[in-house]
Amino acid sequence: MNFARFAERIDGLQYMADKMELSGSRVRRYLMQSNFCSNGDVLNSDFDILQKALDILSDPDAMSGVMQLRHLFAQVHDIQGTLHALSQRHTLDEVELFEIKYFATLCSDFRNVCTLIGFPYENPEDLPQVRELLDPHGTGTVSFQLYDCYSQSLSQARALARSTDPEKEPETWNTVQDTIQKEELAVREMLSQKLNTSYQVLRDNFDRMARIEIWFAKADLAVRYEMVRPDIVTGSADDQLHIEGMINPQIADILGTVNKTFQPVSITLTSGPCLLTGANMSGKTVVLKTLALIQTLAQFSFFVPARRASIPLVKDVFLVIGDKQDQYRGLSSFAAEMLQLDRIMAVIRKGTRLLLLVDEPARTTNPVEGAAILCALVDFLERYRTMSLVSTHYGDLGLSCRKLRVSGFDTAKVKGRLDPLMMNDYMDYSLTEDKDGSVPMEALPIARLLGVDDSFIGSAQKYVKRTIK
Amino acid sequence: MPFVDQIIRYGSLSVVGLGKNTGKTECLNYVMRRLSEMRKVVAVTSIGIDGEGVDQVTFTPKPSIYLEKGMYFTTLSSFYTRKQFQAEICHVENAGTVLGKMVTARVLERGKMVLAGPSDTVSLQRWVSRIPERFPVDVCLVDGAISRLSSASPVVTRSMVLATGAAYSANVRTLVERTRFVYDTVRLPQAPSGLREKLEQVTKGIRIITDKGEITDPGVRSVLLPDQVRKVLETGGNRLYVPGVVGNALLKALGERKEAGETELYVRDFSRIFAEPRVFYSFLRKGGRILQLFTTHLLAICVNPLSPEGIRLKSEELVDKMQRVVEVPVYDIKKIRS
Repeated sequence: MNFARFAERIDGLQYMADKMELSGSRVRRYLMQSNFCSNGDVLNSDFDILQKALDILSDPDAMSGVMQLRHLFAQVHDIQGTLHALSQRHTLDEVELFEIKYFATLCSDFRNVCTLIGFPYENPEDLPQVRELLDPHGTGTVSFQLYDCYSQSLSQARALARSTDPEKEPETWNTVQDTIQKEELAVREMLSQKLNTSYQVLRDNFDRMARIEIWFAKADLAVRYEMVRPDIVTGSADDQLHIEGMINPQIADILGTVNKTFQPVSITLTSGPCLLTGANMSGKTVVLKTLALIQTLAQFSFFVPARRASIPLVKDVFLVIGDKQDQYRGLSSFAAEMLQLDRIMAVIRKGTRLLLLVDEPARTTNPVEGAAILCALVDFLERYRTMSLVSTHYGDLGLSCRKLRVSGFDTAKVKGRLDPLMMNDYMDYSLTEDKDGSVPMEALPIARLLGVDDSFIGSAQKYVKRTIK
Repeated sequence: MPFVDQIIRYGSLSVVGLGKNTGKTECLNYVMRRLSEMRKVVAVTSIGIDGEGVDQVTFTPKPSIYLEKGMYFTTLSSFYTRKQFQAEICHVENAGTVLGKMVTARVLERGKMVLAGPSDTVSLQRWVSRIPERFPVDVCLVDGAISRLSSASPVVTRSMVLATGAAYSANVRTLVERTRFVYDTVRLPQAPSGLREKLEQVTKGIRIITDKGEITDPGVRSVLLPDQVRKVLETGGNRLYVPGVVGNALLKALGERKEAGETELYVRDFSRIFAEPRVFYSFLRKGGRILQLFTTHLLAICVNPLSPEGIRLKSEELVDKMQRVVEVPVYDIKKIRS
């Protein structure tokens, strides 16, 4: 599956793509079509390339070379259509031939700059035969015309046209023009045919230019968000996912605009399910989204926004947030969620190794059945040893799986009414192992701090007591 | 030689026809030939599609755009590949349209060409500034147009020539009056540079300029609702900037205000004014002022006494009457050749 499909499913992935400075739709299209990679060797060699790009960016001596490279990125024309015409053995027109000549010149420019900055990967191949064909006089300029030297009959016809006055001898002139057109077509056919032999190299070079640009855009991103190279874990089924100090770039950026910082969170997941509990507004959903984002980024050969990360490879990543109402198909949010989980379980039954992140499953139905659905889901994930994190508000379920809890809310710190924007200051977002299965009862205290009417909260409090009895 | 030296000094020129068959292309051909004789390198393009052998509106033959050896020109690739003379492609724009990419080429032998260049102001502006950077060009020429159909303003060039003629009006008096109206809009004063810098980025809605010189957005999206505009002015002050088209309704509404005499209307450039002369002058007579953010130097007015319907106005009378109402030289395009 490609990047575009993941960007629809994994929150924050599109944001990262949007933050990449790419020169145009040509490169963006290439990024969107890149594939989710589950091969550790490929990823590791990709990370070597990315590390090299990062080293170059931080090398002051390479600065002017990098500037030249960035300038080159913007010079590449989208010649997809011309390349397609070439592969189909169509006859190129003069403008397309110019584009090929211009492109061949850019190939050598790319090679020179890559050598200059010491970037040995993805360098376009030199195309001397293309340059010689389209620059028969060897002037080295990029301009192009159907040169006289391509065909003697063309040059003769042109000479004849020059000595003919179109006003005085219109018939002769028209005949000569017809001849010129015929001869020019013959030249274009000849050139197109010869160029066809270089098609594969041209195509590869075109893709390489996009890839070089993407590597440097990924490196820029890594600098911007202090991303690190993840350790890829492959092998046994009992691999651990371990992330220290992860941040969510999109939320960090939003917090940054109000002078707040994102509290980095660390987490370890093993095979099988793990429950995640915590008060409202304690960032459970953010943990799930960030995990999904990091796993996906790593498998698209990005560095990841964390202090350290070791990541076992999976075949797919699923993030179930449960807010996907599909009213157009007549589905409630509950129905949409159930169907989504059902599809994912079918994938798991086939033995596909994946990372599953579910936010409060079955929260939109009655608590008795909701809790039952949650328990069944955890049972299922236990049976298939699926690495998964499931957040919930349901407590005391008697489940034996591993449990994590967001450390939580320090109510004592709040002075006066709580501003939701200030939540950040009173919340400890770190995760702790939770041995007992109860859930924190913090909903009403938080509502009170938010300034919700006191008598209303008092009334709710009475109902809590009655239920506990 | 008339006005050609000035063109060289300004470095860029647009030739704007007030209507079809007013002699714009002849005027352009004259300028190109003269510059070529003076060994100046010229680059030429056209707003929209022009240069067809037959006028697409009236189906009358019209002079072709002749390109001289050594000139640069910019047109769509689909027209370029139909050329019947030798040229070399020097540059191709990365982005393309359905009609192809924009091609800039150098003429290797004299020939006729269909020119269809940038069709919006931003790309046209870029063309005028980039061409001399890329190529050894002395003068950039734009075959211009003012019409509601074209969003590209000819004011991107530093100088301009207006082409008018019998095809625009068959009656000498009317022709002179209508031409003078365009002339008067072109010569509207320029806004002070401080205001221009603040306003040039605004391309939508309207803006009020307060007495302190601050720019505020009253949230009115369209000047097609003059009542709203009037209400805004009652509270906001007397200075208004309209980046889009200024039509009859707005100018009338402004002219009917009690404070018409204190009203200042800022427009982008003369080509955005589409009001009738009657309404335009009435606003000015009441003391209202209209200022433009961008202006260009009008070098001359070329008149064409012939129209495709066979009307032939008296050349001397036309030139003479026109010359009495404008302060730039007036030439008969048919006589200027000799």
